[in-house]
Amino acid sequence: MAEPVVIVDHLTYSYPATPNVLVDVTFQVQKGEVLGIIGPNGAGKSTLCKALNGLVPHFYGGRIGGRVIVAGMDTMEHSVAELSTKVGLVFQDPEDQLSGLALTVYEEVAFGLMMLGVPKEEIDHRVREAIKKVGLEGLEQRSPFELSGGQQQRLAIATVLALKPEVLVLDEPTAQLDPIGKFEVFSVITKLAEEGSTIVVVEHEIEELATFTDNILLLDQGRVKAYGSAREVLTMVEKLKSVGVDPPSVTELTHILNKELGLNLEEPITLEEAFKIYSEVLGVA
Amino acid sequence: MEADTVIQRLDGRAKFIYFLWTSFLAYIFYDYILNIIFIAVTLALAAYAKVFKPIALTLAIIILPWIAIATPILSLPLGFPGNETVIYMIKLAGYEIPIYLEGLGYGITWPLRIAVTISSAMLFYLTTNQARLVAAMVKSRVPFRAIYMVIATLQLIPLLVDEANTIYQAQVSRGLRTDVGVVKKIYYYIALVIPLTLSALNKVQIRAIALESRGFSAPVKKTFLYEAEFRARDYVFFLIMALATAFLAYVYVNFGYSPLAHIKYPKGIWG
Repeated sequence: MAEPVVIVDHLTYSYPATPNVLVDVTFQVQKGEVLGIIGPNGAGKSTLCKALNGLVPHFYGGRIGGRVIVAGMDTMEHSVAELSTKVGLVFQDPEDQLSGLALTVYEEVAFGLMMLGVPKEEIDHRVREAIKKVGLEGLEQRSPFELSGGQQQRLAIATVLALKPEVLVLDEPTAQLDPIGKFEVFSVITKLAEEGSTIVVVEHEIEELATFTDNILLLDQGRVKAYGSAREVLTMVEKLKSVGVDPPSVTELTHILNKELGLNLEEPITLEEAFKIYSEVLGVA
Repeated sequence: MEADTVIQRLDGRAKFIYFLWTSFLAYIFYDYILNIIFIAVTLALAAYAKVFKPIALTLAIIILPWIAIATPILSLPLGFPGNETVIYMIKLAGYEIPIYLEGLGYGITWPLRIAVTISSAMLFYLTTNQARLVAAMVKSRVPFRAIYMVIATLQLIPLLVDEANTIYQAQVSRGLRTDVGVVKKIYYYIALVIPLTLSALNKVQIRAIALESRGFSAPVKKTFLYEAEFRARDYVFFLIMALATAFLAYVYVNFGYSPLAHIKYPKGIWG
C-alpha cells in the first residue's frame, strides 16, 4: 500500500492564549482521497487545516505535540514556504487570499509561482492550466476585485492549484458565498475529486459533502468524535446531533422512520440514494 | 487603472521621478506661479490619462479649504510673524485693516506646494500598474519585503476606508446619533479607531497567512512577469523634464523667482 499523503499522528495543539484547541487527533489521507472535516464552530477545524501547511505552529506559535507529515515532510521541520508546494490552503473569505500585488486574474494566479521562482514559461503554462481547471477562462485580464464571490473563490483555488500541491486543503470554502457561488465552488471541488486530487475539506454543507467525500472526520472541542467512511460517519445521526451537527436531511428522515416505525431501511446519505431507496419502498421504481 | 494611454505606459520609475522632480522644485523655489504651473500640467496629464476626477477631488477637499481659511488669517496684521509689506487696506466696521503680502504669499504658496506633491504622487499611483511597479523596484534593487510594504500600504488605505464605513454604519444601526455637532462627530470617529484597528490587524494577519501559504518567504530568487526597461517614451519624458528645468533656471536667473520676488520682503521668510 502506498504511503499516505497526509499523516496526522496524535496531534495536540494549544494557541499561546487558548489551550487544547486540538487534542490527540489522528488520521491519514491516502493519495486521491477526499476527506471531509465536520464539526460545530470552535471545534478546531480551521486550526487543523492550518496545522497541515505548517502555519500551526510556525506562524501562530503555541505548544504542539504529535506529528504532522505531509508528502513525506514533517511540518515541524519545514517552513510554510517550503510546504506551500505540497499543501495548497484555500480560506473562507476569497478576498483575504488576494495577494494585493496583482491587477488581473492571470497575475493573481501567477503570484505564488513568482514567489517560488518558477521560470516564466512554466508560470504561463501552469497559470493557464489552473485557470482552465476552475473554469475562469476568458477572465484572465479581469481584476480579481471585479469577480463575483464564487468566481473569486474559484480564483483562490486556482492560485493554489497552480502550485501543484500534493494535497488541497479547503477551509469552509463556501461559507461566505451565495447559492450560485456555492454551486460553482462545489462543482470545481467535485471535478477535482473526480480527477483524483487529494483533498481535505472543512464544510458545513453536509449534504454537498456527502456527494464527493470518501471519508469524514467529526471534530468536537478539538477531539475526534468519529472518523470513518462518509457513510459510516453521516449515518451516526444521534452522535452528529449531540455535537450540534445536522446530518443530511434524507439520512435523518430515514433514521427517524426506522426508529419510530420499526423499519429497517438502509440510511441514505445523498438525495440520489434516498430517491432510489424510497422508490423501491413505494414500489414506483 | 482602467485606461491605457501613454501616461499609463510610461515606466513607473519615470513617473516617480516626475513626482520627486516637481516636489523638489516646488519646495526649492518659493513660487506660487511655478506651483500653479506644476499643478496645471499634472492635472492635464491626469485628464489625458483619465484619472482627473480623483486627483481634482482630493485637491479640492484638502487644498482649497486650507487656502480659503489660512490665507485671510495669515494676511492680517497678527496672522504671520513676517508681515511687513502692505498690499491693500480693507475697511471693516470703520477700521482700516491692512492685508500683508508676506502672509498672503505664505498662505497661498504652502498649500500649493502640498498640492503639487499630492497631485504628482496620485498621478504616479493611479496610472502605474503595480505589478510593473514591483518589477521596476526590483530592478532598482529595492529589497522585496520593502517593496511589499510600500504596495501593501497603498492597498490598505482603500481597505481601511471601506472598513471604517462598515463599522460606522454598524454603529449608526445600533443607535449612534448622526445629528450631532462637529465636536461630537469627531468624538464618534475616534470611537471607530479601536474596532477599526482590531479589524485592520485581523485583516493584515490573514493576508500575511495567505501570502506565507503561497511561498512569500521562500528563500529563492523570485520570478517577475514583467521586465522593467526604459523605453523611448520614458526618455522623451525625461528630456521634457530636463528642458523644463533648464527653462526654469533661465527664467529664475533672468527674471527672478516670481512676480512676488520683485517686491521687497524680509529675508528668510520665503524659504
